[in-house]
Amino acid sequence: MFIKKTKYKLLSVLTVVSGLLLLYGCDEFLTEPARGSLSEQVLANEQGVNSQLIGAYAKLDGGGWDVPGLPWEKSQHNWIYGDIVAGDAHKGSNAGDQAPINSIQRGNSDPSIGFFDSKWQSLFEGVTRANAVLGVLQQVEDLSPEEINSLAAEARFLRGHYYFELRKMFFRVPWIDENTEDVNQPNDEEIWPNIEADFQFAFDNLPEVQSERARVNKWAAGAYLGKTFAYQQKWGEAKSIFDQVITSGVTAEGVPYDLAENYWDAFDPAAEAGNPEKVFFASQVANDGTGDITRANHGAMLNFPFNSPFRCCGFFQATQDLVNSYRTEDGLPIIGNFNNESVVSDQGIPSDELFEPYDGTLDPRLDWTVGRRGVPFHDWGPHPGERWVRDQLFSGPYAPKKKVYWQSQEDEFADNNQWAPGTAHDINVIRFADVLLMAAEAEIEAGSIDQAREYVNRVRERAARPDGRVSNDLNREFAAAIVGSQDEMLDLEGLNSGNFVVREDLNSTFTFLGGNVGDINNWNEYPEPNYEINTYPPGSLGSQQQAREIVWHERRIELALEGHRFFDLVRWGIADREINRAWQFEATVFPNTLAPGATFTPGKNEYYPIPQRQIDLSVAGGEAQLQQNPGF
Amino acid sequence: MYVKLLPEKKDIFQSFCNYCRILKNVRIKAKIISFSLLVLFLVFDISVNIQDGYAQNQLDISGTVTEQETGQPLTGVTIVVVGTDRGTTTDLQGRYSLTVPDGDGVLRFSFIGFESQEIPIEGRRTIDVEMEPSVLLGDELVVTGYSEQQRRDFTGSIAVVEMDNFERLSASGDLVTKQLQGTASGVTVTSSGQPGEAPNIRIRGINTFGDNTPLYIVDGVSIENIDDLNPNDIESIQVLKDASSAAVYGARAANGVIVVTTKKGKGKVQLNYSGSVGVDWQGRDNPWDIATPQQHADLLWIATDRVNNPRPHPLYGDGTSPVLPDFIAPVGAMEGEVDLDSYFVIPEFNDPAQLNDFVRITRANKEGTDWFSELFSEELQQAHNISVSGGSAIGNYLFSVNFTDQKGTLMRTGRERYNFRANTSFNIGENIRIGENLTYSITENPQVASLTEGSAIGMAFRQQPIIPVFDIQGNFGGAFGAPLGNAFNPVGIMERTRNNEQEDRRLIGNVFGEIDLSEKIVARTSFGGELVNTTGQFFQFPTFENQENDVTNVLTVNDTNAFNWTFNTTVKYTDTYNKHDYEVLVGTEIFKNSFTFNGATADGFFSFDENFVNLSNASGNRNTSGFEFQNTLASFFGRLDYSFDDKYLLSATVRHDGSSRFSKGNRWGTFPSGSVGWRISSEPFFQDFNLDFVNEFRIKTSVGLIGNEQNVPTSNQFTLFASDRGSSFYAIDGSNSGTQEGFLLSQIGNPNAQWEEVLNVNVGFVTSLFANRVDVDFEWYWKDVRDLLFNPELPGTAGSATAPFVNIANMRNTGIDVTLSSSHNISQDLQINGGINFTSFNNEITKVAEGVSSFSQESRRFVGQNFVRNEVGQPVSSFFGFVVDGFFQDQAEIDQLNAGAPSGEYQTEAGVGRFRFRDVNGDGEITADDRTFIGDPNADFTMGINLGANYKNWDLNMFWFTSQGNDIWNQVRWWTDFFPSFNGAKSTRTLTDAFVPGADNSNATLPIQENVGTFSTNGSPSSFFVEDGSYWRLKNVTLGYTVPQSFQDRFGIGNLRVFVQLNNMLTITDYTGPDPEIGFFPGGGGGGSTNFGIDEGQFPTPKQFIFGVNLSIL
Repeated sequence: MFIKKTKYKLLSVLTVVSGLLLLYGCDEFLTEPARGSLSEQVLANEQGVNSQLIGAYAKLDGGGWDVPGLPWEKSQHNWIYGDIVAGDAHKGSNAGDQAPINSIQRGNSDPSIGFFDSKWQSLFEGVTRANAVLGVLQQVEDLSPEEINSLAAEARFLRGHYYFELRKMFFRVPWIDENTEDVNQPNDEEIWPNIEADFQFAFDNLPEVQSERARVNKWAAGAYLGKTFAYQQKWGEAKSIFDQVITSGVTAEGVPYDLAENYWDAFDPAAEAGNPEKVFFASQVANDGTGDITRANHGAMLNFPFNSPFRCCGFFQATQDLVNSYRTEDGLPIIGNFNNESVVSDQGIPSDELFEPYDGTLDPRLDWTVGRRGVPFHDWGPHPGERWVRDQLFSGPYAPKKKVYWQSQEDEFADNNQWAPGTAHDINVIRFADVLLMAAEAEIEAGSIDQAREYVNRVRERAARPDGRVSNDLNREFAAAIVGSQDEMLDLEGLNSGNFVVREDLNSTFTFLGGNVGDINNWNEYPEPNYEINTYPPGSLGSQQQAREIVWHERRIELALEGHRFFDLVRWGIADREINRAWQFEATVFPNTLAPGATFTPGKNEYYPIPQRQIDLSVAGGEAQLQQNPGF
Repeated sequence: MYVKLLPEKKDIFQSFCNYCRILKNVRIKAKIISFSLLVLFLVFDISVNIQDGYAQNQLDISGTVTEQETGQPLTGVTIVVVGTDRGTTTDLQGRYSLTVPDGDGVLRFSFIGFESQEIPIEGRRTIDVEMEPSVLLGDELVVTGYSEQQRRDFTGSIAVVEMDNFERLSASGDLVTKQLQGTASGVTVTSSGQPGEAPNIRIRGINTFGDNTPLYIVDGVSIENIDDLNPNDIESIQVLKDASSAAVYGARAANGVIVVTTKKGKGKVQLNYSGSVGVDWQGRDNPWDIATPQQHADLLWIATDRVNNPRPHPLYGDGTSPVLPDFIAPVGAMEGEVDLDSYFVIPEFNDPAQLNDFVRITRANKEGTDWFSELFSEELQQAHNISVSGGSAIGNYLFSVNFTDQKGTLMRTGRERYNFRANTSFNIGENIRIGENLTYSITENPQVASLTEGSAIGMAFRQQPIIPVFDIQGNFGGAFGAPLGNAFNPVGIMERTRNNEQEDRRLIGNVFGEIDLSEKIVARTSFGGELVNTTGQFFQFPTFENQENDVTNVLTVNDTNAFNWTFNTTVKYTDTYNKHDYEVLVGTEIFKNSFTFNGATADGFFSFDENFVNLSNASGNRNTSGFEFQNTLASFFGRLDYSFDDKYLLSATVRHDGSSRFSKGNRWGTFPSGSVGWRISSEPFFQDFNLDFVNEFRIKTSVGLIGNEQNVPTSNQFTLFASDRGSSFYAIDGSNSGTQEGFLLSQIGNPNAQWEEVLNVNVGFVTSLFANRVDVDFEWYWKDVRDLLFNPELPGTAGSATAPFVNIANMRNTGIDVTLSSSHNISQDLQINGGINFTSFNNEITKVAEGVSSFSQESRRFVGQNFVRNEVGQPVSSFFGFVVDGFFQDQAEIDQLNAGAPSGEYQTEAGVGRFRFRDVNGDGEITADDRTFIGDPNADFTMGINLGANYKNWDLNMFWFTSQGNDIWNQVRWWTDFFPSFNGAKSTRTLTDAFVPGADNSNATLPIQENVGTFSTNGSPSSFFVEDGSYWRLKNVTLGYTVPQSFQDRFGIGNLRVFVQLNNMLTITDYTGPDPEIGFFPGGGGGGSTNFGIDEGQFPTPKQFIFGVNLSIL
């Protein structure tokens, strides 16, 4: 050969170097770790369990982008599945927006609608996280059996909750727990016993008081156990546990259960700490530093008046039927016949034209629940009506209110980092008024109607507190002016259309409609609404069936637009009657809304369909493990 | 066949004398540069040419090598004494000298692009040689993976991009990859009109549900993409399509391989300049046929039943017909009613509460704003390229600089790129060559997301035309406060990108060494890779003019670093024994890839001045994010090429790959392939057929297996937990403002994943006809993708953790690729030529997952109802939905259908004038089961047709491209053709073509316009949205003139050609949208490998006029 020696050397070096790299490479070189994550072993200790437990709590609001679907599709607010469907609210916004809700509202809940799949997946993610805690608890070594039991009880409470939500929405639900190896399980067995067992374990093993107040405690488990019994009409067991909860229950902070002083305190983020009414809730935060609102009532972000200081989006507009249900006669609700007269609305009246508000008697809770023209919209001034409504013709004139923040609290509790607001309002899953009214149901079934009356009256007394009502004073802080006479008002300068002025002489508020300030005809007077509310006198609940109707009505108006109504109607067996009645009435008042044609089909609409996607995914060996619900 | 496009240098052309002075100047500079380079090389020359003394009985031979046709000296020709390792190359003047052992040997002269010659020495001391260019098909060399091979002996499947055509198309200034459309058979390219938007490239169909990007090999090094290459630097582009040709690249070759070789210097010092200036424009007004403001009001009156039943409307009054207001803010005000002095807007506000204090005054644009034309405009573009190159016996060099400035026709988009290249190689002594290829590019490429409703283009068909671009004070106008829908001002969107910056810096290159161990054995080693650094800064301005405003100001800063390197070593043995020619190549390769992303957002800036806004100055939220991964590959491979008697050809390849993406036991895969060819035309019996017009005919076939690991992340093997502030943190203490850390199960691991495999069969023939004037290359292929890695959705009961990739799905592609080229000399002065590149494939999914026959995607505004379904037996990305069978004509029709329906209801929300869906399964009612396949976005075939003619110094070329049989899902029509699809802009069709109860509806194509979205109109995906996307496009017409030789000689110019080009001047299609070419935009919206062909606001391809110059100075 002709190769020179230096070239051999060069070649040898090259060969050796590349060969060595390859030999080394075969094992070491091809082993790459995953970055940015942890394995289960790292979490198998006290701190790790706690972190996973917090993760299990974090799904309570249904939020977060880890599960597909937009926030409102899977939100614990249940405003679509619990309220709109029940005839308490229209979808809102306009016809094209979030069109699947149109179908759901009308009773056309097709299994292919993605909302159901999102909700299903979100709740099962909650189950998965709770199961992960229970799984890792079997591996930890640095905890005592008592500590393990307490943490397991917390996890089982949360799992019970997620399954409760699944059971009430989807009826046929497969059961997956920490020992299930194949997650593809059939849904052919009733899961109420498993849910009961979880809450019972939680009730038996949770402490009464927790170091952090958003954790669940023994009494929350008791209340939820009672609710589980109530959903199964196990009234005797329900009554027994509710008795304990009402007499001995305390919040996780150790405050004995009671109604908060005023009705709005149940919703006010400033009144959350030390609040005796908090039984079980999803804790929400505003401005957590992420610049996102996933932890800030994400699922309710659409539910603010449109074209308003809240910017977006005009969903979740109460029905006239719900508004009318707050009408009172002698301070008592008009059971069954409240639509004999309608609370006058501003439907069809532009905001710059005069509107004369309704002057009939009303339950004060209406105006903490529904925004309507002329009534102080918290401290944002009188609701201006049509201007704040996206498409009044399509969705009626009303606005939601229970998750709307106050102007005075905007900096603290509103999160304006996204295109629609987030807020710090907790999502109440069970509040004490809810417990009292469920207990009232149990008493009626036990025949102790007077005890039921006492529970109902306890709720009504709080609602009746004069200090706890919407009043003209709410307008004072942000009024353009506070004046003592008409002359003073007409002399004001620099006003724009929509500005409002508090009149101390009349105890009313005037909104300037535009044009000449000096002309009284350009001012719309809004007097305080005419509230009248009383308790039920002894013996006034009537027969057992009459008493049931009274408690059912009370639950509706006390807990309206908090996501309960539909599920209550179904368990009471009156969904057919009530929902069809509500939409038929609504169609006569607002014929251009989705109300005409909205129906509840008995034997089908009691539950939502098992998502078609999930049935498809459950196919094993050519057969779907999941069965569809009846009627779909 | 390769056809010469440029005529030879001919007569002088006086009119160009005006340019003489400029040219002279350039020439002087060029001489200075070349002189400096020469000095540099002289030094090298001296240092490396120190030779050993000669032995006594040797013979010194010298001579000159010239090009036969022109007599020009050829530099760099390799001269070897056959049977020894003695050899040399020719110098700048084409001269060589060589010492041979004795006078009986044979010298072999070889040079790329020329026929090799073997000349016996016969004792001569001077041997001059004329080299003949190789012009026959298949005589050029093709790069086949770690080595080169004569194309005529190649039995695999390869598409060689015709470089004249490529160069011509490259003058458009677009990305290299875009020029591949229609220029290589078997390659499908779809793109858009956006500068710098990477096109979607597929080689022979769709191979995987994941990434279908081919492997790019540039000068032997694999890189992520070739978009930052300077097209002027490219010597050749070849596409390896079947297993036999690609398998040597093993692991990453399943999607095909695109091999790019960059230019090397040769011969005398040469300075080249090429430059172009041009203008791009859309040539389209109101392409979505948006109605006028008055028509919008009329439509509102119809849809909300105000014509017969007047009710007040905030904008249009309360009459039986609507009246356009003078102002949209204040809503519906007329001239004189508005106090213009009360206007109060701070456009760059930083306190969200201020939004409530603004008094906006916006005049109605009664004429109507054409938002498309507000966004798009004519834009200039230019590109300049300078290169210096040369070569000699000691080596060669090429340096180039390129500047491209391509402004997008959509405002504030465009691409500005600087690119530098240095390619050098040195012959160290006789048997060792070392060199490097290096390119560095800096690109700024602001883009707009397209094909998505939220982009500026989406807003342009959603924003009502009554809204003006600006309000009375010149701030942005919008729908705030007026019932005009929730679209954003598209001009506002783009203007507010003005402080954004994004810069990509990319270094690509390698160094290599090559050594001839003997005449027959060559060893080569190469180390190379790419280093990509991207920095971006994006500022979100608050908005005030829209219905749904963002009130925050946020700065986002991103920084990514990607680095990968490849180190390979090969040894090649070539020999000939009697009629046996064979070559054996063995090699090893290791590859490492790492990627790091760091990002930060911060908000609450006091001022939005771009000089003030940085991460330090934020007063609000500050968030950081990070992401990284690494993966590695190690490979051994070998190849045998064998031919017997130049008639029987055989090639075999095997590659053994290990990948870090798989767990230890599943890491390695072995992928063999083989191919055979038979040159029938060389058989004696072929002569018996008397087919004299057939110059060459050979058949070839190949079978092989390729692996694919691209679709799994390294982390796929592991079960992992992670924390996420947005979904696993919780305020466990009940706080209203802060959360505590929680963990969630983030990924379910699958340690059993292994290589995807593609089994590939290719059959074809190659023929040259009519004295080599017509060449045909025909291939049929069959590709079976097995164990396709897919992460099928797990049941919801598994939670939301990332599902692992499992080897579960299967897919099949079959297709035909045809290349046809022809040229003809009509006369001495006139040559014509033509070529066709035909590409077709049939893609079929053969398995999705155990028990699961499909997965679906893309619901867009049909929330939860996906209309793209990937199902067994169907091509990927098939459109799925109801078939529209006209409209329900009257209530009687509905009643009759209801009567026959088992449930009593034929179709949900049926109504007069709404779509009547087809009862596909015949059960008497419309259910989810009546949805069916209603479209396929995959083309039946695509084809590029090139036609050219040279007459004396003139050259004229025309390039057509067509795509036939592909459907488009026109999602734009969901917005524009249904009144209740948000309160946005509507097409004139809603007034002219919609169903009207009681009228003659025989020509109606749109359903009744009403103020309710229903299942039976815009609520369901249906065939209404599917259109035929076939089109023909005249992509390019070029007219060039080459300045005659005499002129060039006189001014010392090597070559001078000027040309004008018109691009995309004509598109013939029935598609109603602005552009039937629907690519996808990986950055947002658009779609991906399994969900494409959806038009929701494509960036249409602009028309283009270009003037350009090519100049070389010797």
